[in-house]
Amino acid sequence: MSAAANPNAGSASLVEARGLTKVYGNLTALNKADFRVMRGEVRALIGSNGAGKSTLIKILTGAVMPTSGSVTLDGVELPLGRPEEMIRNGIGCIYQHSNMAPAMSVLDNIFLGRQPTRRLGLVDVKAQRREAEELLERYGIDLDLDAVVGELPTVKQKEVEIVKALALDAKVLLMDEPTGWLAASDVRRLHDTIRLLKSRGVGIVYISHMLDEIFTVCDTMTIMRDGCVIAEADVANMTRAKVIELMVGDRLARESSAAAHEARHPCGNGEVRLSVKGLTRRGMFRDVSFDLYGGEILCITGLIGSKRTELMHAIFGSEPCDAGTVEIDGKSVNFHSPGDAMAGGVGFVPEDRHRDGLMLGMTVTENLVMTTLRRFRRLFLLDRKGIEAASNRSIDDLSIKPADGRKLVRHLSGGNQQKVLVGKWLRLGPKVIILDEPTVGVDVGAKAEIYAILRAERDRGAAVLVVSSDLEEVMTVADRIGIMVSGRLRSIHDAADMSMAQVVAEIGAE
Amino acid sequence: MSALSPNIATRLAPHALTLAIAAFVVVFSIIEPAFLKPDNLVGIVRQVAMVGIMATCMTFVIMTGGIDLSVGPVLALSGVVAFFAMEAGYPLPLVLAAGLAAGVAVGLVSGALIAFFGLPPIIVTLAMLSIVRGSALLLGGPDLHSIRDQPGFTFIGTGSIAGIPFSIYLFIAVSLLMIFLQKMTPIGICVAAIGENERAAFLSGHRTRTTKMWLYAISAFGAALAGIIQSSQVHTASATYGEFGTELDVIASVVLGGTSLMGGNGSVARTIIGVMFLGIMNNGMNILNVSIDIQLIAKGAIIALALALAERG
Repeated sequence: MSAAANPNAGSASLVEARGLTKVYGNLTALNKADFRVMRGEVRALIGSNGAGKSTLIKILTGAVMPTSGSVTLDGVELPLGRPEEMIRNGIGCIYQHSNMAPAMSVLDNIFLGRQPTRRLGLVDVKAQRREAEELLERYGIDLDLDAVVGELPTVKQKEVEIVKALALDAKVLLMDEPTGWLAASDVRRLHDTIRLLKSRGVGIVYISHMLDEIFTVCDTMTIMRDGCVIAEADVANMTRAKVIELMVGDRLARESSAAAHEARHPCGNGEVRLSVKGLTRRGMFRDVSFDLYGGEILCITGLIGSKRTELMHAIFGSEPCDAGTVEIDGKSVNFHSPGDAMAGGVGFVPEDRHRDGLMLGMTVTENLVMTTLRRFRRLFLLDRKGIEAASNRSIDDLSIKPADGRKLVRHLSGGNQQKVLVGKWLRLGPKVIILDEPTVGVDVGAKAEIYAILRAERDRGAAVLVVSSDLEEVMTVADRIGIMVSGRLRSIHDAADMSMAQVVAEIGAE
Repeated sequence: MSALSPNIATRLAPHALTLAIAAFVVVFSIIEPAFLKPDNLVGIVRQVAMVGIMATCMTFVIMTGGIDLSVGPVLALSGVVAFFAMEAGYPLPLVLAAGLAAGVAVGLVSGALIAFFGLPPIIVTLAMLSIVRGSALLLGGPDLHSIRDQPGFTFIGTGSIAGIPFSIYLFIAVSLLMIFLQKMTPIGICVAAIGENERAAFLSGHRTRTTKMWLYAISAFGAALAGIIQSSQVHTASATYGEFGTELDVIASVVLGGTSLMGGNGSVARTIIGVMFLGIMNNGMNILNVSIDIQLIAKGAIIALALALAERG
């Protein structure tokens, strides 16, 4: 970037973090990370889930105390692990979910919690207004100070949050997925605001999964993987494919081993089990069509935010859609509730096992029979013996440990919780089974076991639909690969015809 | 000091309430031997029968993270409706059905608002508390309506079989039915699943909304049955019965029994222990001639203490 374009840009960093390390037990969340932001710079912070981005951000906001390392602002070392000190020194954060008091005015929100007072502790309204007007003028932001925040459009609310941070003399703004809830035109508006701030010398850290936005608004980027900073670059010198390759790592960019290819079954046994035609939900996904065959595993991959999860919920009937049809075995079904879908032979393993999948405070056995309870009803009575036998079979088949159905699911490891979640859907014996990110947060051993389960389901003739962002997983288990970009199913390929690099290139394409 | 003591504490924690009841019984019977007389013991159960029926019937609602504040007015409404059905000359089964149906209808409305429109249970049942009280007054006016020459109806609250009041049999029957539903049928697991994680229960194919609606109907059924017992006991129906505080005794019994207001864990059987605990405490204080003001203060303090201990355990 040139000095002319950035009158405030100095050669010295505004914020500089050196050697930040954070160790939780035997897990290193952040490993000797160096990070810096210059005056008037918009720096993207990129990485997959679990790469260490949020740990880094939490250290910068003071929410987390690093195991070692230092942070300086304008060359002065900051006291770490103390949020109020970080704010006082000028590090502001705009969170993904709004932190505003919706019933109060813009002015009140800007000064929430730190009203300038006159003697006797009375709020000095005039001073507030004067200060706020000066701020708006200095940063060229247009806001009605008397508007009620809850009645403003979301993008305006973001601006209020920004002004609130600026009123605290923020020199650096951390923005965590700031466009998560915004429509396209509002994204442009927010980006204009960011450019204004930048021209006034504010340093901005822009955290987003949306590569489009990063290439539009950012100057530089820092890419993280497995807790390490693995690359820093000017946006101008990068391509999307290169960014994704760096994010997922060259370990994965290698061709997957021949072993994984040996038993591909594209289009399975040739019988269409699930057929989706023109499925559309406004603002989410558009005109999605595909066929899923019995005896195959179709993996749908794409960037986070490409609306794969919403698509699966629409197929399963747990969320609505606006247009299109879903057919099972050639019959139009369009499920309106999960119960309907299950009666139609469809199972769905959701992504977030804690929020959507399991009853953590209930036993392994109770969780395993959760989808098939009515099969254990004899007249009105619950067939406890039958339930126990079924649960023991599942525990055995999936080698869930400890092998005790009376254990609370809460007390199992992540991998075993995931096996319980998959197991409760296998008990249904579905014709079509949908799995959304089936191995998130499980260790390598459990991953391999879950892959074996998926293959066994396929080989018994089930149609398996997997949503995954983990490219190694996709290359390992898929018979066919579908690629979703911004709410559209871009293409479907035989997995044997695709290299990792080709998949990466398609995911990142506009 | 001793590695044993925390172990003993964790093993005894689930039985703390039972132990507290035992302690009360010992203390009260030492101070006043009459406490242990069969008449007094039967009297205690008879006194708690109405609260007990309402508490066992509300346990499922609280297990789903909900609450029902409207039981007091529902109790009154059911009595008044039954009275007018009697006045109109209907036979006893229809009279009872009318009173119970009025309660269940209220429960279904609350349940539908909560389950299908996503309104908060505390607000909906608070609104119902007001609406139902108002409706009962509209129907019955402020007067007491005396019930005469209805031997069948009077038997419910005042009759006894083998020396045990009939209302106790009703309490036992309702309790057994609710324990049966929880332990022997799929309903128990569904209710626990909704309380643990409603979204996961929905995604597992459970009809979570319909189930929740009916749970409020069950709670209201308990209150309506209590209303019939009440009217029968005092030979009058009145729109003012089930006065303010009824719902607090009911909710306190459930929560003392270990059902979390956050939902999830809970047990009808333990609710009954909670009911007995409150009943014995009230009776003991009456026997000891503790004045009503002190009784109320002591009751509140003991409930708060018991809950604080339960939270820690």
